[in-house]
Amino acid sequence: MKTEQTPKPANRSGWIMLAITLLLYGVTLFLDPSLAGSALYKSLGVLKMIAPILLLVFFLMALLNTFIKPKSIAKHLGKESGLKGWFFALAGGVLSHGPGYIWYPMLSELRDHGARDGLIVAFFYARAIKLPWLPVMVGYFGIAFTLVLTFYILLGAWIQGMIADRMNPKSTYTE
Amino acid sequence: MPPLSTRFKEALAGSFRSLSAVLPMLFAVIGLVGLFQTTVTPQMLHSLFSGAPLQDTLIGTLVGGISVGQPFFSYIIGGELLKEGISLYAVTAFILAWVTLGVVQLPLEWALFGSRFTIVRNLLSLLFALLVAWATAATLGVFL
Repeated sequence: MKTEQTPKPANRSGWIMLAITLLLYGVTLFLDPSLAGSALYKSLGVLKMIAPILLLVFFLMALLNTFIKPKSIAKHLGKESGLKGWFFALAGGVLSHGPGYIWYPMLSELRDHGARDGLIVAFFYARAIKLPWLPVMVGYFGIAFTLVLTFYILLGAWIQGMIADRMNPKSTYTE
Repeated sequence: MPPLSTRFKEALAGSFRSLSAVLPMLFAVIGLVGLFQTTVTPQMLHSLFSGAPLQDTLIGTLVGGISVGQPFFSYIIGGELLKEGISLYAVTAFILAWVTLGVVQLPLEWALFGSRFTIVRNLLSLLFALLVAWATAATLGVFL
């Protein structure tokens, strides 16, 4: 999947999206000011929630770039990473907190430095296991459902990663 | 090789540049999440299910895919749907689609990873919402 290279930075499309979002807020404000206020309040709540994670991602990216060379990323998360690569991707997906889009910049950098697409796809799907919310799931659906679903999510993440790699065998780091 | 402190400072600057580049899109996504959560209520999502297993499964996947919010919302809605007789297959697909798909964040994913990656990943997630839901329900012996 990496044959079509990442169209970064996302500056232009980002500003366009932001303009569209502001336009939507403007229309909502015109039609129903209280609804627009409520939406803005919810958005600020989301921003407040993700701010610490965003800070964590910021420092993780800096640490990765300081201590880990692209060649090393290619070795641990690239074509030859083997079981270790799958373990990192699945464990990372399960342990990562907050909305998925916060992790996009870091994953995108890892990908540019040689992490293969299959592992990134697996990371994304493994994020379906939400450790902090598992007790809530057990409460609603029972322990058997939670265990079975968790198992199939991990299996599904791995299979999807394999499919993604098969679809793009060139998804490896080359200097 | 430059000293560690210099490398770290350079890496911090690099991280700042990377994150700054995606901030407008990130703010747009956060703004859309707020709008969605305000205009689309759990009751509205709930009312879309009919009780027909196959139809509900597709509806669950689609509704879960466009919904945004904390995962526990999907558990609560899913739990209530299950109590009302909606199949476990449909409810599981709904929960999975909620946490693995995201229409709102598609533009950001597209911008950072490219169109091919985004389309393939989301199609795989869509397909696997159905497959994992089927496997889970079948394993638990309550398939349809």
